[in-house]
Amino acid sequence: MSQRSSRVRNVFLPLDLAEVADLWHTRFGIRAEAFSGYRFFKKAKSIWAISDVELPRLSYEAMGMRIMNCKDRPWKPTTAALQVFGKYAARNLMHLDVDSARIFLEGKSQEVSEVVASQCEPGYVVVFYRGEVLGCGLYSHGLLVSQIPKERRLAGRGE
Amino acid sequence: MIFGQKNEDLTGWLNSSTIFWQSRLHLKSIQMTKFRCKAALRPMYFCRDALLLDMDFLDRYRDIVPDFKAFRAIQSRPLFSSARINTLKINKDLLLERLCEEAVPYQIFDWYPLGLKMDVESPGKLVENLLGHIHIQEELSMVPPLVLGPMPGESILDLCASPGSKTTQISAMMENRGLVIANEPSLARIAALRSNCERLGAMNVAITRYDGRNFPRGSFDRVLVDAPCSAEGRERRGPGVIERSNCKRSLDLSVLQIGLLKNAIRLTKPGGVVVYSTCTYAPEENEMVVSAVLNELAIMNESDEAEESAKAHLERVMISGLQECPGISEWNGHDLGQEMSLSARYYPHMNDTGGFFVAKIIKS
Repeated sequence: MSQRSSRVRNVFLPLDLAEVADLWHTRFGIRAEAFSGYRFFKKAKSIWAISDVELPRLSYEAMGMRIMNCKDRPWKPTTAALQVFGKYAARNLMHLDVDSARIFLEGKSQEVSEVVASQCEPGYVVVFYRGEVLGCGLYSHGLLVSQIPKERRLAGRGE
Repeated sequence: MIFGQKNEDLTGWLNSSTIFWQSRLHLKSIQMTKFRCKAALRPMYFCRDALLLDMDFLDRYRDIVPDFKAFRAIQSRPLFSSARINTLKINKDLLLERLCEEAVPYQIFDWYPLGLKMDVESPGKLVENLLGHIHIQEELSMVPPLVLGPMPGESILDLCASPGSKTTQISAMMENRGLVIANEPSLARIAALRSNCERLGAMNVAITRYDGRNFPRGSFDRVLVDAPCSAEGRERRGPGVIERSNCKRSLDLSVLQIGLLKNAIRLTKPGGVVVYSTCTYAPEENEMVVSAVLNELAIMNESDEAEESAKAHLERVMISGLQECPGISEWNGHDLGQEMSLSARYYPHMNDTGGFFVAKIIKS
C-alpha cells in the first residue's frame, strides 16, 4: 500500500468528548453540554465533529466538520466551527460595529479599542456582529487579524 | 458487436457517429465565426440566435416536448439567479429581513417556501451566502431532495454528491439529525463539497470517495442518484451545452448511469426510496436508464439467479406548484413500458426554469 493510499491517509481516530470540550471550555468558556450530540475524531493534526450516529464501516474522506486545527500551538478553531459553537462562548469574544465587521469580513487586520476587546486575552477570539458569530479572529497587541478563509471573504470596496 | 454496441443499434450508431464527425468539422468553422461574433456582439445570446444551427440538436425532441416552439425560444433567455434559505443557520423571517435591509430584490418561489429568485448580478458575493445563510442553487435542483423526502434520524446516501447543493438540502431537511453519506469520486470536487458542507453548517454529512458503481456496502433508507449527464437542461445557465451534445455521448453516459442506479438499488433497504435525477432531456439518459435497470431486476427475479435480487417499482413524481410532463414510454422505436410515465420531465418553458428529469423508485 502506497503512502498516498486513502486507507493510510484517512485514519479517523475517535476522541473523547470530554477531551475536546475541555479545550473549548478553557479558552472560550463553552460548557460541555454544547458538544453533546456530537462525536469527535482526530485525523492528522485536525479534530473533526459529526452528529452522533452509527457510522457504517467505510473509508471516509471527511467526517462532518473540521472544527480545530492543532498543527500549531495554541490550537486554532475553524471559522465554520465557531459559527456553530461560538454562540455559547462566555469569554474571548468581541462584538464589532458595522464598519469593523465589514473590514473583518474583507479579511483585513484592524486596530480595536480596549472597550471592544475588554473580554479578550491575546489569542484566537470569537467575533460577533449583531449577536451573530462572523468567525474567528486573532487578537494581540490591540490588533484584530481576520482569520476568515480566503474564499469566504467579502470583496473589498473599490476593488 | 462493435465497440460494445448491440447489432440492432449499429446502423443508428454508425449514422450518428458520421453525423457527429461531420458536425465536429462544421462546428470548428462555426466556433471561429462565433468567436468573431462574440467580440462584436455582447451579450453572446445575440449571436446564438444568428447561428440557429446550434439548436438543431434539439430537433430530436420535437415529438416529445409540448409547445416545441416555445421550448426552443426560451433556450436563449438567461435564467434568474436562485438561492435556497439554509434553515440550519438562520430562520426564514430573519433572512428575508436582512435581504430587505441590503436592498436585494427577491421573490419566493410559488412551489417551495425556502427557494428565492434573486435579481442580483453576483449572488455568490452576498454576505448572506458567505456566512452560509443562503446557498446559490438552481431552482429545479431543489426538486430531487423533496422527492426523496428524507426524515430526521434516517440514513441517506447521496451517490453523486459534489458540489453539495442537494446534500446540504437533505441535511437541512433532516435538521442535522441522522446520517448523510456524500459520495464523490473526484478529489478536486470533494474540496468544493466539503467547503459547502462546512459553510452551510451541515454536521451530519460524512464524505466518501468511491466510484459510485462500486460503492461497497451499506443499507440506506433513501438513496439519491443525481447522475452525471449531458446537462442539456443547463443551456440557459451556461450557453453552449447543447452544441456540445451528441447521441454518442448520451449513450456512453447511460452505461455509467445504469451502473450507478443498479448499485443504488442494491444499497437501499427493502421499502426504501431511490431517486434518480438528471438535468438533461435525452431519453437515453433518463427513461431508458430507469427502464433498463427495472427490466434487469425483473428478469433476475424471474430466473431467481441472484440471491440479492429485489423488486422495484416507480412511484409518481409530483410537486404541487410545478408543472411537469410525464416521462415518455417510447423512444426511437424502443418500448420503455407504460410505467415510465410515472416519472417527471420538467421543461424550461413550462415553469421558466432549467430542464430536469426525476424518477422515484421504491424497492420492495
